[in-house]
Amino acid sequence: MSTTHPGPARVRRSEPRPSAVTAKHLARAKVTRQRRGSRLKLWAGLVCTLLVVIPVALARVLPLPGPDQQDLAGRRLAPLVDGHLFGTDQLGRDLLSRVLHGGQVSLLVGLLAVVVSGVIGVVLGASAGYFGGWVDTVVSRLLEAQLSLPLLMMLLLVVALFGPSIPVITFVIAIAQWPEVARLTRSLVLVEREKPYVAAARVLGLHRFAILLRHVLPNVVKQASLVVLLLLAQAVLLESALSYLGAGPQRPFATWGRIISDGQDYITTSWWMVTLPGLVIVALVVGVNLLGDGLRDRARRRKVSTP
Amino acid sequence: MGSYLLKRLGQSVLTVFLTISTVFVLIRLAPGDPAAAYAGPLATTEDLAKIRASFGLDRSVVEQYLLFLKGILTGDLGTSYSFRSPALDVVLERLPFTITLALAAILITTVVSVPLGVWMARRADTTRELGANVVTIAGQSMPDFWSGIMLLTVFAVLVPVLPASGFATWGGLVLPAVTVAILQIALISRLVRSEMAKNLTAPYLTVARSRGVSERALVWRYAMTNSSIPVVTALGTRFASMLNGVVVVEVVFAWPGVGSLVVRALETRDYPLIQATVLVTAALAVTVQLLVDLAYPLLDPRVRLGKKVSA
Amino acid sequence: MTRSGSGPELSRRTLLRWGAIAGAGVTLGPLLNACAGPTGTPGPGTLTLALNRSLVSLDNKLNQFDAAVTVQRGVRQALTMVGQDLKPRLVLADRFELTAPTQWTVRLRDGVRYSDGSPVTVQDVKTALEMYQQVNGSFIAGFFSEFPTVVPVDDATFVLQTERPIPVLDYLMANILVTPSASNRPEELQDGIGSGPYVMRSGNRGTGNYSLAVNENYWGAKPRVPNVSVRFVPEESSRVVSLRSGEVDVIDSITPDSADQLAGLPGVRITRTPSTRINQLFYNFRKPQGHPLADPRVREALTYAIDGRSLVQDVLVGSVSQADGVVPTGLEGAVRTGEYVHDPKQAKQRLDALGVRDLSLKIIWESGEFASDTSVMEAVLQMLGQVGVRATLQQFEPGGDILSWRQGKAGDWDVLGNGFSSPTGLAVSILQGMYAGTPEKEQTRDTYQGYVVPAIAAQIADASAEPDATRRAQLLSDAQKAVWATWPCLWAFVPNAVLASRDRVGDISLAPTNSYDLASARLEG
Repeated sequence: MSTTHPGPARVRRSEPRPSAVTAKHLARAKVTRQRRGSRLKLWAGLVCTLLVVIPVALARVLPLPGPDQQDLAGRRLAPLVDGHLFGTDQLGRDLLSRVLHGGQVSLLVGLLAVVVSGVIGVVLGASAGYFGGWVDTVVSRLLEAQLSLPLLMMLLLVVALFGPSIPVITFVIAIAQWPEVARLTRSLVLVEREKPYVAAARVLGLHRFAILLRHVLPNVVKQASLVVLLLLAQAVLLESALSYLGAGPQRPFATWGRIISDGQDYITTSWWMVTLPGLVIVALVVGVNLLGDGLRDRARRRKVSTP
Repeated sequence: MGSYLLKRLGQSVLTVFLTISTVFVLIRLAPGDPAAAYAGPLATTEDLAKIRASFGLDRSVVEQYLLFLKGILTGDLGTSYSFRSPALDVVLERLPFTITLALAAILITTVVSVPLGVWMARRADTTRELGANVVTIAGQSMPDFWSGIMLLTVFAVLVPVLPASGFATWGGLVLPAVTVAILQIALISRLVRSEMAKNLTAPYLTVARSRGVSERALVWRYAMTNSSIPVVTALGTRFASMLNGVVVVEVVFAWPGVGSLVVRALETRDYPLIQATVLVTAALAVTVQLLVDLAYPLLDPRVRLGKKVSA
Repeated sequence: MTRSGSGPELSRRTLLRWGAIAGAGVTLGPLLNACAGPTGTPGPGTLTLALNRSLVSLDNKLNQFDAAVTVQRGVRQALTMVGQDLKPRLVLADRFELTAPTQWTVRLRDGVRYSDGSPVTVQDVKTALEMYQQVNGSFIAGFFSEFPTVVPVDDATFVLQTERPIPVLDYLMANILVTPSASNRPEELQDGIGSGPYVMRSGNRGTGNYSLAVNENYWGAKPRVPNVSVRFVPEESSRVVSLRSGEVDVIDSITPDSADQLAGLPGVRITRTPSTRINQLFYNFRKPQGHPLADPRVREALTYAIDGRSLVQDVLVGSVSQADGVVPTGLEGAVRTGEYVHDPKQAKQRLDALGVRDLSLKIIWESGEFASDTSVMEAVLQMLGQVGVRATLQQFEPGGDILSWRQGKAGDWDVLGNGFSSPTGLAVSILQGMYAGTPEKEQTRDTYQGYVVPAIAAQIADASAEPDATRRAQLLSDAQKAVWATWPCLWAFVPNAVLASRDRVGDISLAPTNSYDLASARLEG
């Protein structure tokens, strides 16, 4: 571009050229701020999540009284009294222990539900996006129908029908969540379908299914899986809402929603029975959301930067 | 345009029809006997059989289904077992309360989340915006029954300024609407933020800025109007889902709406009432969704009806 | 040079925009119209009640729950009423006497009339009895071994004739509400007039909100409270909070813990009285012959495992009393028959002596059966565990299929958490309902958890048909002792009827049937 341009006097390479862009400008640049923001969210999310997940995972190993161990003399003790970090509930059971053990159930249900809904959503969404035609119509109608369904009511009905066991609740939450995964996968596959490598594979004679499975899906799954973290957060919230309304595993199992619904009657005298389990839920869900957000920001940034 | 409208209408009707049929079958498969809930503890087996016959439950499911469909065409959705009056009337008596709650929540959401989203977009990626980001994430992370109970405790018990339940005065609307709105504000403000951020860095805006248009006009006239389309459609969609989704809040605040009606109807296995509720709320939600979808191309001339918009 | 003004494109866009706004207005308009306004605060002269179940009608032909009775009797009345002392008081009748073993003579009070001024006639009573008989699934019908026929004597007097003697008919007739025969039907009446001190001014069945005003034509002493407003607040915590803030004046059916919370608060008064209800952990009597629970000694041994004192004091916060008979001892005709003793060592010894090892019990109950039911069940679980009995809990949500379980048509269970009340105030009603099972009734599974002891059933039948009061009391006492000896319950208790009211509401004369007389309520200030 500058072959004919009469350059300035030759400048020695060893001296750095003066630039109007200072380090301060760089620090305030959008890209650095974005990167810093996403990194902050990632770390904060990770800390919050682990703050809840690690004690829950180690619930059986920690030196806490059992979650069903009653002490009718020590009912409704305030937090930090008598060695109970979260206090006790209306039957004298240690609240922290109940929250942690209940968290095992809630997390298990949430993880399983997310995996199941992820599989269903990816399969259906990819099929709808790739094959088009009536497959797409059917899946799209299903997606739309689910939006207008009175979801919570249907979930309560199914639980009443098949019993409030963990597989049923997992299945029910998975049904509630597959549309989001499917929608995202479908739009991603729609984009991928037009790309040259797919056409190349077709020309090479690969069967449609094989193309979908071996080429398109791997490219799509990574992005679709980012939404999975956010779905985990939703699944935990949905599970606690269901058990709050009474559709949870049999007593004396402690799930988070049930602990809060039991404690609701004592809200004016023993505030900790509702507040502390709720805060634990919030901490976990905030952590997972932050983590998901941070990962998505990073992916987006990287996607934008590649030409 | 006309054929698209017809097609969408047909699809919506089909959706409602499928929903109501699924519910019809499901509730009859679920264990639990409406006659038992109706009769009380001293009923004999003979009594229960008589009651079941009077409800028409001794006929086959197919027969009941056909009768039900015939009933819909004539506007008769059966008599509620637990209320002993026409099921449709019971639902329509309570529906206005749910609509009021949903509208109030949407109003609060719009008023709070739009300025918030704009503020966040203008300060995108600064530390302050990061803080606001975390706050909105916290907003969508709180279980609605928990935030409802917390708000109830603070504003109705500790500092008793607002009523705790029911809808005796306008003040009773505040706490439930705010509880519902918390989640919506979080979601909508993030949407507003991302749309506005996209528009504020768009080339046409840079051109306008370079021509000397004031910052205020830039934000509110140019960027806002372009962002408004996805935001309005999102608001419409949230309103549609709210009509079904405020069950938990209605239970916490004893709000006499359709959500708490559903919970009660399930407890008493009140088949006509469950069916009527599902029909009305599904029809309403589908209608709102349809209107939103039809309004989309009106608002955005770039979109042509009938063509698939990339989701 | 680019024109920066508005061109034709912009104006079309504006047109579209205005069109969209108009369209939005058209759709929102009816939506806004469909909104509901607040129901309005009642004024100072209004007594506000918050009920825990929705009041579906002001007639009691079908299900009635305790709090509904209060409101229903504010609008409609019966010939008699069961008073605070659990004895019948005359209301619409001023004479109700047993003139022969199978005959009661009744005279309607002079001047009793409905709210529209029309008089209460003998025909109305006759029609009412017929309607209660015909309605499907009547709760009341279960208490009548047979329905009497009305034989008019003159305008105001008539005779209630029965085949077999019913010595307690005056108690039973307290449940037959009288309405003008022209509008009475074999179903719960949704409107219509009554003879009570209040009339319904407005009512919304769907939301459970009713508004009552004083009956200007009331035949008796006019009530002192001009208006009554009834609301439906299902959540216990909401009811408690509403009472604390003064939004409602009276709440009923509150759990012991809520009563505890409210007890010390200024402006709130708690009224308690032992109730006519008994809550039990009843054994399943449909066990095969060799099963441990088929042996009354095993059933007795298990009762030693339950620490009743701790359940009463700690879990139920002293708001109940442990049962010392098979029915609440406050009922008419009830006697003390024994006591539940806590001695885990004895329990283990006895179980070992009877050769019972590795017993596992399944406890079922319906959620909300009695206050703090889940806490009691969870505590019982632990107590049984301490004597080596493994127990599992199964909670049924309301509307679930607990009925088929109770009838023995679904799964196998061992102990049922259940409550049974006697709205008539009579011990014999509970005895008839629970312990008078016969093999014929068991054919259709209509016995109480399979309890069939023909000798006891015969004793109860004799007692209920015995006209002589002392002999009847003796027969009832024998029957109850016989029942106790079969150890039907793992544990049982009699809850208190608890009512919480604001100070401005005067003394509420709460009857053990958990209802009170609206007409005698007062409002101060």
